[in-house]
Amino acid sequence: MLVPISWLKDYVDFEMAPEELADQLNLTGTAVESIKYLGEGLENVRVGLILDIKPHPNADKLSITTVHIGRPETLEIVCGAKNIKVGDKVPVALIGAHLPNGVEIKPARIRGVTSYGMLCSQAELKVGGDTSGIYILPKDIEVGAPFAQAMGLDDTVLELEITPNRPDSLAIIGIAREVGAITKKKIHKPSINLVESPEKALDYITVEIKDPDLCPRYTARVIRNVKIGPSPSWLAQRLQKAGMRPINNVVDVTNYVLLETGQPLHAFDYDTLREGKIIVRRARKGEHITTIDGILRELDESMLVIADAERPVALAGIMGGKNTEVSSATTNILLESAYFEPKQIMRTSRNLGLLSESSARFEKGVDPNGVDRAAQLIAEVAGGTILEGIIDEYPKRIEPCKLPLRANRVNEILGTKLSLNDIVDILERLELAVDVVTGTNEMWVTVPTFRPDLEREIDLIEEIARIYGYNNIESSLPESSGKQGGLSLQQKIAESIKLRLMASGLSEVITYSLADPRDIDKLQVPEGDSLRWFVKLMNPLSEELSVLRTTLIPNLIKVLKYNVNREQYDVQIFEIGHVFWHEEGKELPDEETMLGIALTGAWKQDEWYEKARNVDFFDLKGVIEAVMDEIGVANWSLRQFNHPMLHPGRSAELLIDDTAIGYFGELHPSAEADFDIPRAYVAELNFNKLIDKARVSAEFSEIPRYPSIDIDIAILVDDLVPNSRVLEIIKSEGRPILEQVRLFDLYKGKGIPEGKKSMAYSMTFRAPDRTLKDEEALDAREKIVAKLSKELGAEIRA
Amino acid sequence: MASRMGLEIMYEEAKDAIEKASDLRELDQIRIEYLGKKGKITSVLKSLGKLSPEERKEIGLVANKVRQNLETDIAEKQEELSRLEIERRLALESVDITLPGRQPVFGNRHLIAKVIQDITNIFIGLGYKIAEGPEIELDYYNFKALNTPADHPARSLQDTFYIKRESIHPSDNDILLRTHTSPVQIRVMKKQGPPVYIIAPGKAFRRDVPDPTHSPMFHQVEGLAVDKGITFGDLKGTLEEFTRQMFGKDRQIRLRPHFFPFTEPSAEVDVSCAVCRGAGCRICGTGWLEILGAGMVDPNVLMEVGYNPEEVSGFAFGMGVERIAMLMYGVPDIRMFFDNDMRFVKQF
Ligand SMILES: [Zn+2]
Repeated sequence: MLVPISWLKDYVDFEMAPEELADQLNLTGTAVESIKYLGEGLENVRVGLILDIKPHPNADKLSITTVHIGRPETLEIVCGAKNIKVGDKVPVALIGAHLPNGVEIKPARIRGVTSYGMLCSQAELKVGGDTSGIYILPKDIEVGAPFAQAMGLDDTVLELEITPNRPDSLAIIGIAREVGAITKKKIHKPSINLVESPEKALDYITVEIKDPDLCPRYTARVIRNVKIGPSPSWLAQRLQKAGMRPINNVVDVTNYVLLETGQPLHAFDYDTLREGKIIVRRARKGEHITTIDGILRELDESMLVIADAERPVALAGIMGGKNTEVSSATTNILLESAYFEPKQIMRTSRNLGLLSESSARFEKGVDPNGVDRAAQLIAEVAGGTILEGIIDEYPKRIEPCKLPLRANRVNEILGTKLSLNDIVDILERLELAVDVVTGTNEMWVTVPTFRPDLEREIDLIEEIARIYGYNNIESSLPESSGKQGGLSLQQKIAESIKLRLMASGLSEVITYSLADPRDIDKLQVPEGDSLRWFVKLMNPLSEELSVLRTTLIPNLIKVLKYNVNREQYDVQIFEIGHVFWHEEGKELPDEETMLGIALTGAWKQDEWYEKARNVDFFDLKGVIEAVMDEIGVANWSLRQFNHPMLHPGRSAELLIDDTAIGYFGELHPSAEADFDIPRAYVAELNFNKLIDKARVSAEFSEIPRYPSIDIDIAILVDDLVPNSRVLEIIKSEGRPILEQVRLFDLYKGKGIPEGKKSMAYSMTFRAPDRTLKDEEALDAREKIVAKLSKELGAEIRA
Repeated sequence: MASRMGLEIMYEEAKDAIEKASDLRELDQIRIEYLGKKGKITSVLKSLGKLSPEERKEIGLVANKVRQNLETDIAEKQEELSRLEIERRLALESVDITLPGRQPVFGNRHLIAKVIQDITNIFIGLGYKIAEGPEIELDYYNFKALNTPADHPARSLQDTFYIKRESIHPSDNDILLRTHTSPVQIRVMKKQGPPVYIIAPGKAFRRDVPDPTHSPMFHQVEGLAVDKGITFGDLKGTLEEFTRQMFGKDRQIRLRPHFFPFTEPSAEVDVSCAVCRGAGCRICGTGWLEILGAGMVDPNVLMEVGYNPEEVSGFAFGMGVERIAMLMYGVPDIRMFFDNDMRFVKQF
């Protein structure tokens, strides 16, 4: 919504500078997007009259004009344009002018002739886009007048953003009302004096409303013998400044009144209406209309039309029809002013993809009054006679509503100490009538029909708050004692896991919950796998973001790839985020929080003290172990995990207390190839289960008081014997004095027979209540050694 | 047998040897040679018994004196040699302190997570708890219960991602990607009675094609306080406290009336520009930067969750985390948050 300040001042007096007005409007709920200063750079441009044009003696394409600018002496100006003739009024940039396009005007000799100024095009003055020739000004403009003033450009225009709840602000008068309320000034609306002819409108037209729910009111006037032509300058200028293109005097008046009052009007060429009938009805299936934008539109029963005796002549409240459009040949006018039901307008406008100034207002609700203002203006600017009487079909009256308001409630909600008088004063400034119930703090507030947004007491409280000024309300803090802030236990555990991951060298990433279903193919996931139970979007932006992710892995792989493609080869990341699975019969899809991990490259680059080492399975396992340690879980185990996305020999499923928590491992070479990334390690754990399994109450354990005995053993076993099996035996045979056992060396290759490996363990023996004797530890070692050789065929090396 | 003269010569020899000793080991050898169990001085002292009483007295005196002197000399020399030895070690062990240190590897928190944590920590300090909810929501929680009419433009297929289903759009049973974290409000209030003081951080979705200022997914932090006697002034005070802690003591806020379906009165909240402090500059334009939307919880919302608006009132506010992160850290493009370029991630 564009509001020229000069137009606004027609209805309300104020002295504020535009910037201050903009501030005030902003702080009372009318958002000012920008302030446009018209006429900048036009200070030395005047309206000139061309008295003479003669050819330039030295240049075919130039002419020398003699221009009258309201001073005794005329100016000689050299000009190259061809569209001028003697008697034209044109903008003349005088010596010293600094035009908006940056040109500075100085006396100039052009091919031997001195030019004392410049005749300007629209584009040179930045008042329009026309570059084809000199801007020919309207005939009624005063010669010698400053151009900006004569063209109404000594003005400032506010660009407003009106929220959908305030249709009344889509009108200059509505804004004036706001300004009046802010500045405590009464506004003056245009006075309407109609001179009617003795002929009766009723003899010319009948109006019938077939669907009063969709059209509660339809009013019309008939104006005869108008002369269609261009609008006078003042009218055309105002429309232009408010962002509308002038068309002809009648259409311009309807638009002018639309901008002024917010009431959309439509003018029909009366003589094209069949049988002088206006019927407001739903469209019939199969009916068509060509709207004035030239587009043929198919109609259906959900749409409301204005019809004559035979056919639709307008899409009610949205756009008129070509068949009854006002043209240069029009002499008689039917002027419509109606109220259409907002939801129907919105639906039809959306269904047809047709938005207009008119529909934008109707769909938010307009004030169902206003036809006379337009009739008066048309008579003024297009001549013609207004026939006697206004046709007013009003089957469903829209009455102002009355709302109760409690002064105490106002202060309770706002935290203010407003008096009854303060409240009444603010409401009255907004043209709301207030009836205080005698002897109480309660009142009845009458809401005018132009404020359909005010329906409840709280709406009135908001009005009071914004006019009083949000920033004048004193600040406080809630006084409740019922508050107890903090993280829940689960949130604390989640945070501690996150900290541990970061301390382990992993950085957090965040990726879209939206995913590409084709990524699951790249992970080699078979048909029917739960990773394919996609929740699909009905209206995706693209295939890449068309489903909800069922796993974090592809997004993490893509982060690796994004970085590797940018020569960041060392990427160690985690993400904690939701994944989703479609499940039939549930109110909402399954949604789980997962912890995803992805590693590639080295932790550190080559350093002067150590060489870089690429991460492997055991780096990933180390991270998993760190997480287990962080949540205090000892009873976790691994088992073989066969998933096509992972390397079968380098992957595992993680269990805590026999519950599957997730999996980790090296990405399968096929998946690596499909994603085109280097060797990578990934993990995905169910984060909620992880938190559930956390041991939250760790207890102090005694620090040993007696010395321990450390014994190492090295064994030679078959290559296929897992470490866990060896440990199992050591632990069971070492009981009860074995405190700890640790693998400290693993060796295959030179000196070791093919198919064998050497494993060295460090064992710590201790008794909690006495100093252990050497023989006790050695006995235990013997038992362990015996069992290892019996069970595993282990050969003891040391 | 040693004479007095002999002892004195012995002392001179020993003194000389001590003087010349170049390290502690050599010095120790000298000590053993003279003062050890079989040392020269020790032998003299041991053989005193074979002498006459006069001789014993005289030689004994001299020998003891020599022993004492040697002990002192050795101790002094020992001290000197120790000092020298340490000096030598220090000289030997000097490193190039300009070589880089061995840093433990560490990871970084994502900037968005960091900003969320900063925000939530402030509200935890003000007595709020963190609440969470699903990213896929029922229309009911996302729109209807929040007083958003069926024909509200935000509910259109243009603006909101809907989940594919049999039923026809729009209805309360529609499933969608939540467009804000406000549905968490409804879920919490439906579960518990007042008082409620919660902060709800999380992901939200709008059907925007990614560009420097738009992202189909972004993060929001929503706050809600419902209690007896909560006022608009409380909302202002709370946001002022938040602003001071988040952006700095000297930052101001400004509330502008606005329209949201689920709050009334509603406001957009600006924070004064850090550069020009509200005067207006090239960064902010007007001196103010919009950071959040807020308002008093609409009575319709309270009634929807079974609260009595005559008994309790509340305020709610919501802020876009990316926007705040962009303002605070000067991040020029919202897409950078989701590219996860390590050179970006590792900066914060
Ligand atoms: Zn600034």
